[in-house]
Order: sequence, then structure tokens, then C-alpha cells
Amino acid sequence: MSDSLYLAWRYIGFNRWKTLTLMACITLITVLPLTLQVLLSETERQMLARAASTPLVVGAGGSALDLMMSTLYFGRDVPELIDMSDSEEIWKTGLADAIPLYVRFRARDYPIVGTTLDYFDFRGLGFAAGRPLAVLGECVLGAEAARRLELKPGDSLVSSPDNLFDLAGVYPLKMSVAGVLKRTYSADDLAVFVDLKTAWIIEGLGHGHGDVARDGDTSVVLERSEDNVVANASLVEYTEITKANIDSFHFHGEPENYPISAVIALPHDAKSAAILRGRFLESLVTAQIVVPFEVIGALMQNIFRIKNVLDAVIVVVGLATVLAIALVFALSLRLRQREIETIFKLGCQRATIAHLLAAEIILILFASGVLCVGILLIVDHYSADLVRLIFVN
Amino acid sequence: MKQSIKLLVLIALSTALQSVRGADDDPLEVYVVNYTLQYFASRIAGGHARVEFPAPRDSDPVFWKPSTATINDYQKADLILLNGAGYAKWLDGATLPRAKLVNTSRAFSDRYIKIGGEATHSHGPSGSHSHTGTAFTTWLDFQQAILQARAIAEELVSKRAGLKDTFEHQLDLLERELLAIDSELMEIGAKKPGIPLMASHPVYQYLARRYGLNLRSVQWEPREAPTDEQWAELVGILDAHPARWMIWESEPAKETEDRLAMLGIKSLVFNPGANVPESGDWLDVMRENVDNLKQIL
Repeated sequence: MSDSLYLAWRYIGFNRWKTLTLMACITLITVLPLTLQVLLSETERQMLARAASTPLVVGAGGSALDLMMSTLYFGRDVPELIDMSDSEEIWKTGLADAIPLYVRFRARDYPIVGTTLDYFDFRGLGFAAGRPLAVLGECVLGAEAARRLELKPGDSLVSSPDNLFDLAGVYPLKMSVAGVLKRTYSADDLAVFVDLKTAWIIEGLGHGHGDVARDGDTSVVLERSEDNVVANASLVEYTEITKANIDSFHFHGEPENYPISAVIALPHDAKSAAILRGRFLESLVTAQIVVPFEVIGALMQNIFRIKNVLDAVIVVVGLATVLAIALVFALSLRLRQREIETIFKLGCQRATIAHLLAAEIILILFASGVLCVGILLIVDHYSADLVRLIFVN
Repeated sequence: MKQSIKLLVLIALSTALQSVRGADDDPLEVYVVNYTLQYFASRIAGGHARVEFPAPRDSDPVFWKPSTATINDYQKADLILLNGAGYAKWLDGATLPRAKLVNTSRAFSDRYIKIGGEATHSHGPSGSHSHTGTAFTTWLDFQQAILQARAIAEELVSKRAGLKDTFEHQLDLLERELLAIDSELMEIGAKKPGIPLMASHPVYQYLARRYGLNLRSVQWEPREAPTDEQWAELVGILDAHPARWMIWESEPAKETEDRLAMLGIKSLVFNPGANVPESGDWLDVMRENVDNLKQIL
């Protein structure tokens, strides 16, 4: 057999271009579906990891998927809103910690995520520069958002108007950048985090302005009575929260009635989670409680049905390639007919000739296999980064 | 050889045990918004917590504003004890982790006293709104103070379950002392029901409600001479509310005290204990307050 292998090796070496073409065909047809499988598995793992690390989400009744896309990935579509009191209700049960989220506004196309500091602890977000949010009007940027916007702590960022055509609408708020988060290769990298109260100020539920009751400027006063001063529309609201004007910022109404888009509930244990879900199912409230892993898992199953189509295409292409390779070998045999006859006349048996051809095929398959494993190892090693590069854009 | 292995295993085990125990033995880092809460937490936790109240001694903790660095210190604490009832105005503009916040007066939040009478204003389409607030010196009703102390103990136990007995014992001792003051104040209130009293500042609402004091307030500062308008306001109040005593948060200026005396009003100090006293502790201050209040009898 070693003689056959030697002769086969010499033959392959002499016909190196034909051999390389064959190896490339075999390697490609093997590597392609396997690489796809590795990358899809990694994509699924990463997408599910964010859902799996979020035990429960409470939001308004309606599409659970919209709620998940907004809560986990800060998507553009704003789900039906709930009240801050829903978050407090979860705290009061003593079954879970509650992290409210208000994902509605944007700053230069990046989602403004109004939340509490507990979110940073929950996601394990560390700071690459600067410090956490401390006072109203500050924001913390995800790593990628900071890089693309070329912002650093101390710079400022203006919230985008909710509606360009609403001239009498909410003033954009100039936010001071307090810190930049470390890269996490998740939706957090593209977010602009603010305190919930800052998000409500962006919405116009809270605002700051001069003291109309005490300031001497009568031009802004529409009506003055003993216990009430009505200001007219010329009263200018502050568009930036500074040390000098922060005390003038105030909210209208009760904070528990202010809107949020969702609450991430962190049950203390499995039993607490079950009780909490039970309470929401029993109650007739319009809010829903969902397990993100189940919702995103179902979504993934639908998305990855396309993989079956890809698999089918690859199988067909693979079959075609195998047939082509068989044809190459058949043609090769025909071309080598005189060479085979010479070997036969030299006294070699037909079995020896078969050994020679088999050795050639084994060597080519072996080399392709080694190449294939090498490529797969590299893909597997960088699969997490490759997927992040594709999704965190 | 076997002895050496046993020794090594023993050392490894004891080190592991110490590291596990160490995490639970580390004193809790507790930040508070006034001295009353600092005193309660320190009494209950003893050496098992470092209770920090970073406001300067001469400031009013209600209106004190911490620096950004101090807010960051609050954020890093294991527990942040709030008084509730709108106490510490800076909290409205600060970002603190909700999971660490404890409103110690939550148990009686339905009994907060609303302060009315302030001007409201309105603008734009949102309609009028008012900036009326809530009376915040909740602990001057000593029954409420006990509830606040219990809330603190409950949180400390939730953080250090192993020290439950210690914390509950300390709470019990504190409760007894608070109850004793409560009884004394109830006696004072019962002996002079409805006697008109003036307060230099609107901070005694809960004291008045619990102990049946007939109290009206002005807004005077102990170290600032009242303006003519403020004197006129007082005289106006006295027509319908013939008080003979004015309660101050701290010693008033001599001139003010003398002029009050000319109106037949004596001054007494009832320090709410919101900030660290010059000498003694919170309980000493409260006992002195009770003694001072006995002067009205």
C-alpha cells in the first residue's frame, strides 16, 4: 500500500493544479454547510442569551414580540405603554426586583433608554470612561454609540424631536455625557442610557423654567390670582439641565402615573417567578408578563426555518459537485488510459491499479479534510466576534 | 507525610471558611439622608454597618445638595435609607439604584401630612399644578419613629440574615427608649390639651398631631432677625391664636427672643434632630426636647 501511496503522491505532485482544484471543490462543499451551521448556532445562542438572561418582562397587553424587541433590543417600534405604578407593584409583591424601562425617544438615531441604575448592575455593564448617571439631564453611552457619535464624558448630546412637524411640541433636551460603557457586543452598545426622570423630561412631563410667581417679568404671565399664576406660551423652558437650573425642574402629576414601556422583573427564585406569573394570569389587568426566552425562542425557530432551505440547496449543490468530481476522475482515467495500459504491461495486476487510484483519492480527501477542519476551527474560534460584527451594526 | 497532607487540607479548609464568613462579616455600607436615620441604623446594626451621613453639620439635610462625587458614594452603598415624605429634596434630581433604596416611612405613607396653601402655577396645555408638599419630620411622632426603626431593622436583616437576633435585640432596646419618650410627650399633651403654641418653622406637624398640640407656624430662622412683615404676620396670628410659647429648632437670636418676650411669648427649643448635634446623641437631644417642652406645663 505504501508503494501505491508513494506513486499516488508523485502523481498528485506532478498534476498539482488538477489536484488543487479537486481539493478546493471538496473543501468548499464540506466547509460551507458546516460553517453556516456554526454561525447560525452562535447567532441563535447570542440572541437567546440576552433573552435567557432576562427572566421576566412585564408590559402592556398586545404583541409579546414587539415588547421583547423593544425591551431587549431597543427596537424602533414602541409597544403600548404601562404606568410606573406597575413597576412599584412588582416591588411591593416582594417576589422580584423590578427594573423599569422607557424606550421611546432617540438621539441622533440611537435609542434613548430611560431606566434606573439597577439596569447597569443587572446587565453587568462596566464603564470604559466616566462615571454612572448621577443627576437629571445626564446620559451614559454604549461603546459603539460613543464611537460613532465621537462623544466622550463631558460632551453633550441632544435628544431628537419626537415629531419634526410638531413645532409646539417638546423641546429637545441637551444631555451631558457622564460616561461611556465598556463594549458588550449587545444592544446596549448602541444605546443612550438616561435616568427615567430624564426620559420623562424629554417627553415634557417634567420641565424647568423661571419662577413665574416671583420673577418680575410680567410679559410671560397670562393670568395671576391669589393662589395661581397662569403663564403664556412665551414662557421659555430650559433645554439643558445645569447646576444652576436643576432646582427649577419639576414634574406635573404623580410619578406613579408616568409612562414606561416595560419592566424587567428579576424574581428571587423559581417559586417567586411562578407565583408572580400566576398573579398576572389571574388578574384582569391589561398588562402581560412574558418569559423572553420563550418568545425569542419561538422567533428563532421561525427564523431558522430558512436554514432548512439553505441545507437543501447545499445538498443539491453537494450532489452536483460529487458528480462533477466523479466525472473528473472518470475523465482522468480515460486520459490516463495509455498510462494504465503501460502499468498493466509492466506486470501489475488490476488490483494494483485500483490501489493506485484509491490512494490518489484518499490523499486528496485527506488533504481536503485537514483543510476543512482547519477552516472550521478558525470559524468556530471567531464565530462569536463574527456574529457580533454582523448584528451590532 | 500523611500529617503534612492533613495539615494542608485543614489550612485550606479554614481559609475557605474564613473567606466565606468574611463576605458576611464585612460591615454593611449604609448611607442615610438625615441624622435620625443614621442614629437608628447605627443603634440597630452596631459594628455590623458603617452608617454614613455625608451632609455637613451646619446644613439642613432637607435642602442640602450633595456633590456628584457624594451621589456616587450613595450609589455604591449596600443600602440607602430614605426618610420618605419628600425629605431630602436632592433626591428628586439624583439617580440612585432603586434596589438599594428603602423608604423607612412607607408603612405609614397613607398618614403623611399634606402641606397646603402654597401658590400654584400653570402654563401651556397641561393645566395648573401646585407645589404643595408633604410634612417630612415624620419621626417627631415617636410611634412613627418606631415604625421607621423597624423598617431599618427589617432591611438590615434582609442583608445579613445571620445577624437577625442581634439586630432584633438592638431594635427592641431602641424601641423601649422611643416608647418612653412617646409616653412622656403624651403626658405633656394630655396635661395641656389645646394650649396654643407657635412654631418658628413648619416642621412640627407630626409632633402636634400625635401629642395633641395646638400649633401654628411661621417661617423664621433662629439666626436671622425676622422682618417687619414677619412680625406683623405673627401679631396677626396671635389675635386668633394667643400662644405664650414659641418652639424653635435651635436657640433663637437674643434680639428675637427679647422682642418675643415683649409680646409675652417665651422661647423653647425642640431640636428635630435632623443633623448631628454639637454634643450628645439623638436620644440625648430628644430627652432635652422633652424637658424643654415641659416648660409649657
